Amino acid sequence: MAILKVANLNKRFGKKEVLKAVSFEVNEGEILAFIGPNGAGKTTTIKCILGLQKINGGEITINGFDIKKDFVRAITRVGAIVEAPDVYMYLSGMDNLRLQASLYKNITDEEIYRVIKLVGLENRINDKVSKYSLGMRQRLGIAIALINNPNLLILDEPTNGLDPEGIKDLRELLINLAKQRVGILISSHNLSELESFCNKVCIISNGSIIKESSIDTLKNLSEVKYRIKIDDTKKLTKLKLEGIKVIDNNYFEVYKDEDCISEFIRVLVNNKIDIYEVIKESLTLEEAFINIAGGKNV
Amino acid sequence: MFSLIKAEFIKIIKKKSFLIVTLIFILYCLLTNVIYQNSDILNEYEEDITYLEDENKSLDLSLKKDLETYVANLEKIEVEKYKDEYDSNVQKYLIERYLAPKISLYLNYKYISLEDAKLEKIDEEIKDIEEKIRKENWEYFTKLNIANYKEALKDDLDTSTKERYNTLLKMEEYRLNEGIAYDKDNYLHNALNEIAIDIAEYYNLKYASSLTKEEKTRFDYITKEMQINKYIIEHKVDINNDQSLRAVLKNFSQEFDLFILIYIIMISGSIVSEEFNKGTIKSLLTRPYKRSTILTSKLITVLLFIPIVMVMMCSIEIIMGGMIFGFSSLNVPVVLYSHGIIKTWNIFRYLVLTLLCNIPLYLILGVIAFMISTIMASTSAAITIAFLIYLIGNVIANLALVYKFKIFNYLVFLHWDFNYLVNLEANPYNFSATTSLIVVGVYLIVMLCITYIYFDKKDVKNI
Repeated sequence: MAILKVANLNKRFGKKEVLKAVSFEVNEGEILAFIGPNGAGKTTTIKCILGLQKINGGEITINGFDIKKDFVRAITRVGAIVEAPDVYMYLSGMDNLRLQASLYKNITDEEIYRVIKLVGLENRINDKVSKYSLGMRQRLGIAIALINNPNLLILDEPTNGLDPEGIKDLRELLINLAKQRVGILISSHNLSELESFCNKVCIISNGSIIKESSIDTLKNLSEVKYRIKIDDTKKLTKLKLEGIKVIDNNYFEVYKDEDCISEFIRVLVNNKIDIYEVIKESLTLEEAFINIAGGKNV
Repeated sequence: MFSLIKAEFIKIIKKKSFLIVTLIFILYCLLTNVIYQNSDILNEYEEDITYLEDENKSLDLSLKKDLETYVANLEKIEVEKYKDEYDSNVQKYLIERYLAPKISLYLNYKYISLEDAKLEKIDEEIKDIEEKIRKENWEYFTKLNIANYKEALKDDLDTSTKERYNTLLKMEEYRLNEGIAYDKDNYLHNALNEIAIDIAEYYNLKYASSLTKEEKTRFDYITKEMQINKYIIEHKVDINNDQSLRAVLKNFSQEFDLFILIYIIMISGSIVSEEFNKGTIKSLLTRPYKRSTILTSKLITVLLFIPIVMVMMCSIEIIMGGMIFGFSSLNVPVVLYSHGIIKTWNIFRYLVLTLLCNIPLYLILGVIAFMISTIMASTSAAITIAFLIYLIGNVIANLALVYKFKIFNYLVFLHWDFNYLVNLEANPYNFSATTSLIVVGVYLIVMLCITYIYFDKKDVKNI
């Protein structure tokens, strides 16, 4: 079932159209990686979903409630971090959590301790937030996002400032939440971080969605890469082959579809090149993304 | 809604700036009380006789004008010397009141009219008076006055003079019966003394055939003073004593006006913009509440803070003033005079009323800061502009007393001060209280509408 539905979302700042007909969905238990270069409209989309910016066109529904018409009910089961974590620096971590918890009905102290444990802040929870490191603030932000037991979690660049340990914890936490049927929308620059656990990717560039698909389809969409070991790569230059990338004297890479690779190997064999290894490699998400976004660096 | 307001209170109270202002207030409050405690020393005035001595040296005594100045200075010097010799207030008063005229006479005979023959007699009189003063025998002078007034009343006098002597006679008899020495630390003496000073002018104006506008104002003023002093004597209430907790509380709204304003503007000017600046607005707006509910909770917080700050400040003052002065002065009422009638109010009632009268002003400035805080998302702009409007408002309010432009009537600055009601005075611009309330209300509604519309439409910008 779709928890979040974004349909034909349009947003203008003055005359500039920053979002053009953006549509995507997040279902129960799904982790959607929301990817795009700087200024593509990731944060703006997220702010529109959360009602922080008014939308100029289109429709956003959360748990079946339109955010324009029924904001309060739509937002009740949403947890979010937008840009930096929104915490009061002069309060302690505990006070921050209590403060936010008090804005929902019936959140018990046990519930608060549970999320503190989930993000691993037990030791420092009574310190003032101004004494926290960025990573700890990020953990506190995640705790606040989880305090109302959301079924839609929206995280904007949550890995910022987290150490590798923190990223690993976050990954486990998110996988666990997804198992409990929570839908997660997560945007990040660090594509390789998301690759290992997200199951859907949405790529946005210049305010438009370029691609929305499951992660496996995305990987398979682009040509498959083969790594081939031969006796001497200098022999290749005479053959004038397309799409090859020489690595060293023995190794080179070639992008070919599966049905073309046998033909390619036959050419090599016919030219008396000795082949020792042919390895099929699937692309990392980052490489697939760069291919689709037209080689732009992220 | 209730939990939102509660959350706002937690945010304000835990903020450092709130604690700092409160600490400064406590210090300020302590200093104010110390100043009140020492008000008698601060108000004391001493004649500088070295200056007079220097002036005398430079005078040319052959000129008549210079000679007169010389004698006048000499008299002052002599009186000061006598006063230095004696310690008690009673003695000092007696020297000024009874010895000084004789000294003046003596010096006049000696230097100006050159009647040496009379000098000896007057010198004796001076010695006689000095003897009485040394013994602090003030009753002697009172009895002397009584005898003089009785003697004078035997003559055929006009009504004005007759009434004046009668009153003075009554006062002196009262003084003698009650044993009220000429001591400036005794409030009953001060009241009697003030009446004695004003009385001639009072009866002259009272029986004058016609009064100019200035004379009428003066007469009203003197009448008020006389009535209040009469009340002091009749009811034995020490209302002019500045060295009391009651005096600080009576002037509370004037003394601490600025502090209340600082609190209110500080809170209302930061309550919205701070969230925008720190980014916390994002988490607040993604809670399950409508934007208007969130803004209302902030507005209610600001409104609730006005009485809370007032109560907090009054409590601090009562505790601190009570420790310094004691609480005994609190049963002395505030005495007010309006159109021939004396009204007395309990000090707490007066305090509450003076604070209530400032609420329209606090509301207007608080809502101005609140509006700017929301629209510009800048705390410093909100606080600065609100204070500037307060200053400009006061200037315009004063200007409007002189220039009666019609446009001024629509400005809220002429309407936001209701203190005249408490002090039983007339509105300086002749507005009725209802008109003023309506103007204040319209300003508030318009500003709040702008704020609500703006807040509802506002996009949270990307950082």
